[in-house]
Amino acid sequence: MRVDYVTGNTAIALGSIAAGLRFYAGYPITPTSDIFEFLARELPKRGGYVVQFEDEIASINAAIGASWACAKSMTATSGPGFSLMVEALSLAVITETPVVVVYVMRTGPSTGVPTRSGQYDVLQATYGFHGGLVVPVLAPATPQEAFDLTVRAFNVSEKLRTPVVLLSDATIAHTYGRVVVREPGEVEVVERAKPSVPPEKYRPYDPGEGLVPPMACFGEGYNVLVESLTHDERGYYAPRSDVQRRLMWRLYRKIVESAPELFDYGAAYLDGCDVALVSYGSTSLSTLVAAKILRSEGYRACSIRLRTLFPVYEEGIRRLLNGVGKVFVVENNVGLYYRELRGVLRGSEVVSVPIIDLDLPQPREVVEVVKQWL
Amino acid sequence: MRIEVLIAGRGGQGILLLGHILGRAVAKYTNLYILGSEIYAAETRGGDSRVDLVIADREEEADFIKVMGADIAIVMHQLQLDAYSHLIKDGAVVFLDRSNVTSVPQRKWRVFLEPYTDIAEREFGTPRVANMVALGHLVRQTSLVPPEGVEEVIRETVPKDWVDVNIRAFRYFLSR
Repeated sequence: MRVDYVTGNTAIALGSIAAGLRFYAGYPITPTSDIFEFLARELPKRGGYVVQFEDEIASINAAIGASWACAKSMTATSGPGFSLMVEALSLAVITETPVVVVYVMRTGPSTGVPTRSGQYDVLQATYGFHGGLVVPVLAPATPQEAFDLTVRAFNVSEKLRTPVVLLSDATIAHTYGRVVVREPGEVEVVERAKPSVPPEKYRPYDPGEGLVPPMACFGEGYNVLVESLTHDERGYYAPRSDVQRRLMWRLYRKIVESAPELFDYGAAYLDGCDVALVSYGSTSLSTLVAAKILRSEGYRACSIRLRTLFPVYEEGIRRLLNGVGKVFVVENNVGLYYRELRGVLRGSEVVSVPIIDLDLPQPREVVEVVKQWL
Repeated sequence: MRIEVLIAGRGGQGILLLGHILGRAVAKYTNLYILGSEIYAAETRGGDSRVDLVIADREEEADFIKVMGADIAIVMHQLQLDAYSHLIKDGAVVFLDRSNVTSVPQRKWRVFLEPYTDIAEREFGTPRVANMVALGHLVRQTSLVPPEGVEEVIRETVPKDWVDVNIRAFRYFLSR
């Protein structure tokens, strides 16, 4: 363990090493490329592989393939690159492949202002996939959280056999901070469950008593079927409604029913809170200061920073905000995640505070907007 | 305790290096929490360079990455003093490079006006270490970080051939 002073991007690269990253596949894109550069320098020294592919489609497919060889794998990209990756990420969903995708949001749509920040892609991070299933999305706000949540992203992906999106943005990417860096062996690391039956009895998509099937990798003596078609527990194509039902509900339930365990947030000034400023990612720094300003002006404001955006833990969010008069959802887009919370918090007054800014929304601006509603 | 530090100057004056060394020294050699951000222009020389640091003794107080009212500032050029003086609050400790600053606004600051660039050229033969002369002055006057910590960070940050002159420049005000 050591204390370092690094950017959010470097913290993600360090976190991935601590979590046991063995294979990084990527295609450079602002503002993620320094993750790639750092890993290209450091990962081979630790026996891992870093490969630049011809584009993002190849990168994500390579990362998925490496995972089936039992190498913990990751890629990092931004909006345009993630758009290219979503088809393959649906493959990862149905084949239940653990893989971590770092999504560093920048100002969009399209090329937008590629060096600057925004939170326009928060819904794409989980709804961008075809197939209508949920993928866990974790959102750090500081370099320390970037390190910690990267480790967590790997653990969640291994435990649930799913792609996990680590949703950062250009502001966090280039923010420096004090980070407690832990080395491999100094963090809790989850490994995918391996089959306990002999190879002749192994059924690659049989979850047994739970919802997540043990995963044999290539080269371990098991027959491994990586099947993108609707498949039964043996991994055989089965174009039948009963099989599709069983598969879809299991894939859905294994993520959604993990919501309580995945739920993670930070809160400040909760005592007697009547005005909650809810945010995520870099914008939650603006709301943290805004809540402090509102408190100093006599409002009973608090700040809540969601670190898990999907799956949405509805009960947990309701409990957290129970009794709060007004809930303001502050984000650097047109008010996207607000739609998620509005549905969850029926009964409370939920107000969208969309502040579009190439950097961080200024706390003063947040305060002024919120005060119009108080 | 929560302190905002603003470091500003023109591209080429070593502003980002100064900010990085100070930030790293705070992170590694004090018990304080810190967040920081950088602004720089596309030009190699002459553009706007700025580092914002938010330092606090409790993690939740290191809550932002932009200076809203600096308690401590180093400003190395008149252009940035004109542009950013509104970000420096009354009562702040302000270090100005007299070699490049000609007009100091009438504010309730505690001002240290020293010719950092001229000192660097005269004493160390290069204006490139003016940033370290200024940093040494800040450390001397504010005791924000232990000088040994800063020197350690200089050793691990700057190219080998430049370590010695940077450390000597850093010590200029500390040894007076």
